[in-house]
Amino acid sequence: MRIITYRQALNEALDEEMARDERVFLLGEDIAIYGGAYGVTAGLWQKYGDQRVIDTPISENAIVGVALGAAITGMRPVAEIMYIDFIGLCMDQLNNQVAKIRYMFGGKCTVPLVIRTEGGAGRSLGAHHSQSLEAWLIHIPGIKVVMPSTPYDAKGLLKSAIRDDNPVVFIEHKMLYNTKGEVPEEEYLVPIGVADIKREGKDVTIVTYSRMVLFSLEAAEILEKEGISVEVVDLRTLLPMDIETVVKSVKKTNRVVIVEEDCKTGGTGAEIGMQIIENAFDYLDAPIIRVAGADVPMPKSPVLEKLAIPDVERICKAVKEVLK
Amino acid sequence: MKREIIMPKLGETMEEGYIVSWRKNEGDRVEKGEILFEVMSDKTNFEVESPYSGYLRKILYQAGDQPIPVTTVIAYITDTPDEPIEIEKTEEEKKEKIKEEFEVRVEEKEKEIKVEEKERIKISPLARKLAEEYNVDITKIKGSGPEGRIEKRDILEYLEKFKEEYEVLKWTPLRRIIAKRLTESKQNIPHYYFQGKIIVDNLLKIKENLEKEGAKYTITDFLIFLTSRVIEKFPLIGSSVINDEIRIYKNVDIGLAISVSDGLVVGSIKNANKKTIEEISEDRKNLVEKARDGKLTEDDIKGTNFVISNLGMYEIENFYPIINPPGVAIMGVGKIDKGVFVEDEKIVVRNYMYISFSFDHRVIDGVYAANFYKKLKEVIENPAILLFKNV
Repeated sequence: MRIITYRQALNEALDEEMARDERVFLLGEDIAIYGGAYGVTAGLWQKYGDQRVIDTPISENAIVGVALGAAITGMRPVAEIMYIDFIGLCMDQLNNQVAKIRYMFGGKCTVPLVIRTEGGAGRSLGAHHSQSLEAWLIHIPGIKVVMPSTPYDAKGLLKSAIRDDNPVVFIEHKMLYNTKGEVPEEEYLVPIGVADIKREGKDVTIVTYSRMVLFSLEAAEILEKEGISVEVVDLRTLLPMDIETVVKSVKKTNRVVIVEEDCKTGGTGAEIGMQIIENAFDYLDAPIIRVAGADVPMPKSPVLEKLAIPDVERICKAVKEVLK
Repeated sequence: MKREIIMPKLGETMEEGYIVSWRKNEGDRVEKGEILFEVMSDKTNFEVESPYSGYLRKILYQAGDQPIPVTTVIAYITDTPDEPIEIEKTEEEKKEKIKEEFEVRVEEKEKEIKVEEKERIKISPLARKLAEEYNVDITKIKGSGPEGRIEKRDILEYLEKFKEEYEVLKWTPLRRIIAKRLTESKQNIPHYYFQGKIIVDNLLKIKENLEKEGAKYTITDFLIFLTSRVIEKFPLIGSSVINDEIRIYKNVDIGLAISVSDGLVVGSIKNANKKTIEEISEDRKNLVEKARDGKLTEDDIKGTNFVISNLGMYEIENFYPIINPPGVAIMGVGKIDKGVFVEDEKIVVRNYMYISFSFDHRVIDGVYAANFYKKLKEVIENPAILLFKNV
């Protein structure tokens, strides 16, 4: 199968959906001529023009508000928020309008809106451009939150998100854009709300998502050589969470490590862990361990930044700890 | 000077009293002999005079429905109206103190409980569930996890160890019945036993000759045939004890112990004493087949008071079976063997078998049983007798 980058996979998803449905259009900061801060929309302005690839002023609030208006009046906008760190600026639009309008108007309108953004540390961009804020978003009923880890999932999930009649926040990871993976030439979709076993194992289940899937797979590879068989569950969608797949794995391994890049306190891992306890308490043979981001503003220093998020070594250590 | 006024004991049986009223107020002058207060005991009301002159300085118990034990200090009288007094703690205050002590004790108890909690068995949810499922006492297990936490592997190891020692076999309904009936039999029936050696050369010769003719009968067939004819003359052997009655039957049915996959059943050869060896053999084959297929009918298992149990084919020399209630006798057949016998002062080698009996002494005495045995031995050793005379 052909190998392409995560960035290219996302670009193809946008391209294919724009070609397929003329109601699909893009808006965001520097996405047109410049092609987006991380180059995801490169070439699309040239192909689809001003009407369908729109550069906006620097106002996240306006971007989401306009996109919402377009969505409820029949368009299928894909808005880009350059960094998830800026999501606070449009949080009222997102939380109070986007997530609730269909519900509050008794289902009279749908909100086929995708907000693409990216997060995570790794480029030494400091505390304003490196955060993992997905836990804020999964606390909002009425939206879906998707965080793909591979080019294949990224393309398939973005296409599903654009075709979804409900608002989807699609969170990419800045350190994944250049990663490569198999993506078929032919069209396919990846369903929202379905987790994926990225590696089968029998001793420990790692539940994770986004970039941490790659770290976890690396750790699993190392641990395999030491005779420890690790199953890696990639949630892919955080909201709604596919707890069934997680529980199935937990029933097999009885031990869980959660790997998340966001801050540990009040983080996504807390929700994952709690759902495991609610659904599979009797199958746990050891306390669940979280390997999570430190509860600190993300440091600018590359050395400290690396320490502030999980790494392969710490994942290995946690797996051994949960097996003690 | 401070003097105590106490709750008086106003009768042999009085344990406590109630103050109905104080006739003086605190600070009042009171003369010896004046009525100071009124008390109600369980019988009646008394007016109590002051034993001293002075000032009613302090009332410790007001009138009320609170019972006060006799001799309890209820007030103080002093010589002067304003001399300082140290007041003993009132009941109320004492109670307060007790309460405090109690609370301290509760606190200590709570501390103890906390210590216990520290010693609480650490066990993973999965291990706990497994332990409950397999009825494992977790206090007997040493956990291998962090801080001694019991985990799945510890439960499984424990179960594995257990498995090596034994596995639990489920009772089948048949086993339950066998267990119940035979326990009852052994507990309620006064068994006694004997055995005899019976020479079977003649019997074997007949068996052989018939086989040459193409008619194959087993030793059991012959024994049923012969025993039934002897029982005809000793009807007590085939009797039963039911509802406190000894029942003697007109027909001689012989019970046959048949081994089946999950136990033992007893089937009946009806009217055996009236049947030919061929008929008996046919009946026996049918019965065994039905028993092994689990198809014995109610009728097949009726009439099994006297039972023949043959373990001869398993190389058993001799054994004493348990009587099959409501029957009163059972016969055990051992293997046929060669033995050295003395006949007419000569040593001869003969084929013989042990036959043993268990009898219910409530019904059958030793001499009756011995006579039965003697006759049976005679016909088994010499079946030709039956040709010219009845048993």
